[in-house]
Amino acid sequence: MSAREILLQIGQVVTVLALAPLIQGIIIQFEERVQRAQGPGIFQPYRDLWKLFHKQIVVPETASWVFWVTPIVAFTCMLTVPILIPVLTDFPLPLSDMGDILGGGLILTLGSFLIILAGLDTSSAYGGIGSSRAVMVAILAEPTLILVFVGITLLAKAMLPFVVNHLLVSNWAAYWSPAHLFLVAAFFILLLVETDRMPIHSSTHIEVYMIEEARILEYSGPLLALLKWASAMKQFIVYTIFCNVLVLPWGLSRDGTAIGALGAAAGLIIKFVLVACVVVFVETAQSRLRFYRYQEPLAASFLLAVLSIIGSQLS
Amino acid sequence: MLVQHLSPLASSLFSLLAIVSLFLSFVMLGSRWLKNYLYAFAAESWTIAALSAAVGYYGSYPELYLIAILTVLFRGVLLPYLIWRIIRRLEVDREIHEILQPSSGLVIGALFVMFALAVSYRVAAEFHLELTVAVLALTVMLSMKLIGFLMLAVRHEAISQVLGLLVLENGIFLGSQILVPGMPLLIELVILFDLLIIVACFGVLVGYLLTHVGTTSTLDLKRLVG
Amino acid sequence: MMIGTLLLALSIAPLAALIGCLFVHRPRFCETINLIAAAVSFACALPIPFLIDGHAILYWGDYVIIDRAAAWVVLCTSIVYFLASIYSVGYMRMLAEDERLYRFYALFAGFALTTLVGPLMNSVGIYWIAIELTTLVSTFLVAFERVAESMEAAWKYIMVVSAGISLALLGTILFYWNGTFVLGPTYQMTWSVLSTAAPKMNPVLLILAFLLVLVGYGTKVGLAPMHSWLPDAHSESPAPVSAMLSGALLNTAMIGIVRFLGITRAANLGDLPQLVLVAFGAFSLFIGALFIVRQQGIKRLMAYSSIEHMGVVALGFGFGGALGVAGALYHMLNHSLNKSLMFFGAGNMMRAYGTKEILEITGVNRFFPTQGALWLAGAIAITGAPPFGLFLSEFTIMRAGLKPSYSWAVYVMAVLLIVIFVGFMNHFRSMYYGETTPEAAPVRTRLSAWCAVPMWLSFAPLLVLGLWWPAGVWTYLTSIAQSLSPGVP
Repeated sequence: MSAREILLQIGQVVTVLALAPLIQGIIIQFEERVQRAQGPGIFQPYRDLWKLFHKQIVVPETASWVFWVTPIVAFTCMLTVPILIPVLTDFPLPLSDMGDILGGGLILTLGSFLIILAGLDTSSAYGGIGSSRAVMVAILAEPTLILVFVGITLLAKAMLPFVVNHLLVSNWAAYWSPAHLFLVAAFFILLLVETDRMPIHSSTHIEVYMIEEARILEYSGPLLALLKWASAMKQFIVYTIFCNVLVLPWGLSRDGTAIGALGAAAGLIIKFVLVACVVVFVETAQSRLRFYRYQEPLAASFLLAVLSIIGSQLS
Repeated sequence: MLVQHLSPLASSLFSLLAIVSLFLSFVMLGSRWLKNYLYAFAAESWTIAALSAAVGYYGSYPELYLIAILTVLFRGVLLPYLIWRIIRRLEVDREIHEILQPSSGLVIGALFVMFALAVSYRVAAEFHLELTVAVLALTVMLSMKLIGFLMLAVRHEAISQVLGLLVLENGIFLGSQILVPGMPLLIELVILFDLLIIVACFGVLVGYLLTHVGTTSTLDLKRLVG
Repeated sequence: MMIGTLLLALSIAPLAALIGCLFVHRPRFCETINLIAAAVSFACALPIPFLIDGHAILYWGDYVIIDRAAAWVVLCTSIVYFLASIYSVGYMRMLAEDERLYRFYALFAGFALTTLVGPLMNSVGIYWIAIELTTLVSTFLVAFERVAESMEAAWKYIMVVSAGISLALLGTILFYWNGTFVLGPTYQMTWSVLSTAAPKMNPVLLILAFLLVLVGYGTKVGLAPMHSWLPDAHSESPAPVSAMLSGALLNTAMIGIVRFLGITRAANLGDLPQLVLVAFGAFSLFIGALFIVRQQGIKRLMAYSSIEHMGVVALGFGFGGALGVAGALYHMLNHSLNKSLMFFGAGNMMRAYGTKEILEITGVNRFFPTQGALWLAGAIAITGAPPFGLFLSEFTIMRAGLKPSYSWAVYVMAVLLIVIFVGFMNHFRSMYYGETTPEAAPVRTRLSAWCAVPMWLSFAPLLVLGLWWPAGVWTYLTSIAQSLSPGVP
């Protein structure tokens, strides 16, 4: 364990921390442009966070300690996951062996779970609605997520994201195998679910059909800033897994030099912009569905994962 | 046996095409609009034609090119066109009363695929072909069969049922391309023509249904019981 | 060579009738040409069983096979075709559809053509196509009356049977695939090639393929629980078509199952294939009995009786042995004759009273003393009571089943046959001796000779076959049994 590796690992976390709002800003800006609006500029999330950190905190009288703990735990979870996944380098860094893909998934879910609790904790009507909706979606999303992980495991014979990355970079037949392609499609739907961009989510927030926003409606000031930041980081992490592990496994630092790491960070932004284009396209092209059709995309994702597992049954 | 000595690339290509056709039959299962249903069917036929050509190329069966061309002509162009004409005449766009929600249909279809996989494994193990594309071909063949029956069961618009029937046939055709590429040409040709006659018959019959019964939904066909 | 000429004439006659009807639309001409074609077919089919010896003969590049089993089924078909053609002259005139009549006869000849050549197909794949064609042609015959009920019946018929028969195609492909491990990737998939290769084929796949084929062609045969199309199609089509569907088509599909069964017998798979066939047969009997007892439509009653009799035939082939197979083949012939008689009678009564409901038909014996008596005798025969042919064949099948593994099926069969007898007789009692009301009188009291003659023509051999089973027929049928399952005494 050399000092450079430790520095790189810290660099991974800092990259996620620093770039997450930027990606959020790019997506929002892009979306606004597609919908023929001016858009707030790609740095707006940073300004939002800055502003929120300078505001005072208002806490509902009904809130318990869960209300206070949630933002901190959620934020910490999102700081932990980047250690486990290939953000900048294609080789494991110190502490990367703490957990595999499933472990990373668990930590991500822990953050969401606490936010759901917090939404219920304030006993406001919107928080309850948001939490229950989130759980309804999550109940269907989790089995699919597990199936996707099973698919990845069968594909690479390992659950470590680094192994998958290496396999896909080195083996074209594996990259173009139906197992992998269907896995990509299944994970793409999960990506939409996890980043609240399913066709049932509302693109304009703060209204009746909100899910994510409803849960944190009671938060204000620095606590809200932490939650928003955590949510942006979660999006960043899911994008990272999608790009660096599944779709675009190239462009990571091989040797761990400073130039390589910087290049990898720049590459990440380019990849994310590509994925964001697709996401925005899907979101704009797909008409909004009633909330009670939320199971359809998830059923499709489940099916794709099953197909991928079937496809991986021949070598 | 073709499947026993295939290059990895050919094997990958076959499995990709087979899985894509399976996926397209799921698209058919999940779509509400008859038009989408029809497009998915046409795309599936083209995929199967590509598969025929690929098998012909890698297994050096030149007659399969002919089959591929005829598949495109009949299943990919002519049948969809005929059905499209029927749809246009009927002025029916979509299934109005769903017996089963598309998403539930997809999940049941996925379970069918798992069942088909289990059966195929068992059968392929008999010939020590577990790790070849034969498993996949059998799986796709059986699961398209099951999905076709599911469509027949849960769809009640006459056109949907016809398309369900065609999915049944497509599944068999696809599987036979990979498993028995050396099958006598005559049989495959006659089956292709036969399909055309079936669709023509269905076209006439749908017209009759509309004129004499006044509906094309099989939910309303319940005069004869007991 | 003689047989080849006969086969050619046998199939060209309906083809000529089909073409003639398409070009000349005059109703009387179509009637006549179809009748002549039927007579020619019958005349050609009749001598074939006498001419043929124990070996199968192949014609036309091995695509056509004629063996004793095929000759027998073709004979049954041509008899029904001939009788139904006579009957349709009288029946179709009652419908008063003269301007569309040429279509009926064209389709009818086409249906007869496909049904006649089906059993003659040597290639397993082509046989499948022939069976599929019979469905397509007969669908339009079922839909001929252009009322909502017959449309519904036609739709269900083509849908259920096409879906079912696609399973048979799947099974056929699996048979071929199984054969490629023995014979190499390309070979002619004929019955005899499959039989020869069967002992070396993989048993698991063979059983899977056989089950698929059984369910597939079983749909066409009308074995329960795949029978759902049968009562609708048989009851809504014109009566001569019902007779053809029941007496000819079901046999043609049955011969496929029997040939596949022969392949599995050659592979020594144990009792499973036969056991499944016996189970299907027993269940068909059960369903038939259940619906016969509670039936209200006169032609549906006959349709369920067809399901029952196909169940009996399936039982016969399932029991196997010389007795079982010979009994089942004999039953095919008797059933073809008897069911034609029953459908002709039912069609007459339906037209005479203008209803299909059993309860609205009363006093048959008063208004139609001769024909009524004939029909009643037919009803007694169809339930398997002596002294008619069906009694003899059912009894033979029962004797075949009296071995430890299948005795349960024989008991089930005996009980259900009694139930069916009671049910049938109860319906006929109400039609013959039920209370007559003035408004239930027939709308038509005179029926033409065209409608009565075929009933007599089918009744006479039925009685003869019941009283006298010629020794020649017995040896003929047992030789089929031996060729289907070699090594069985």
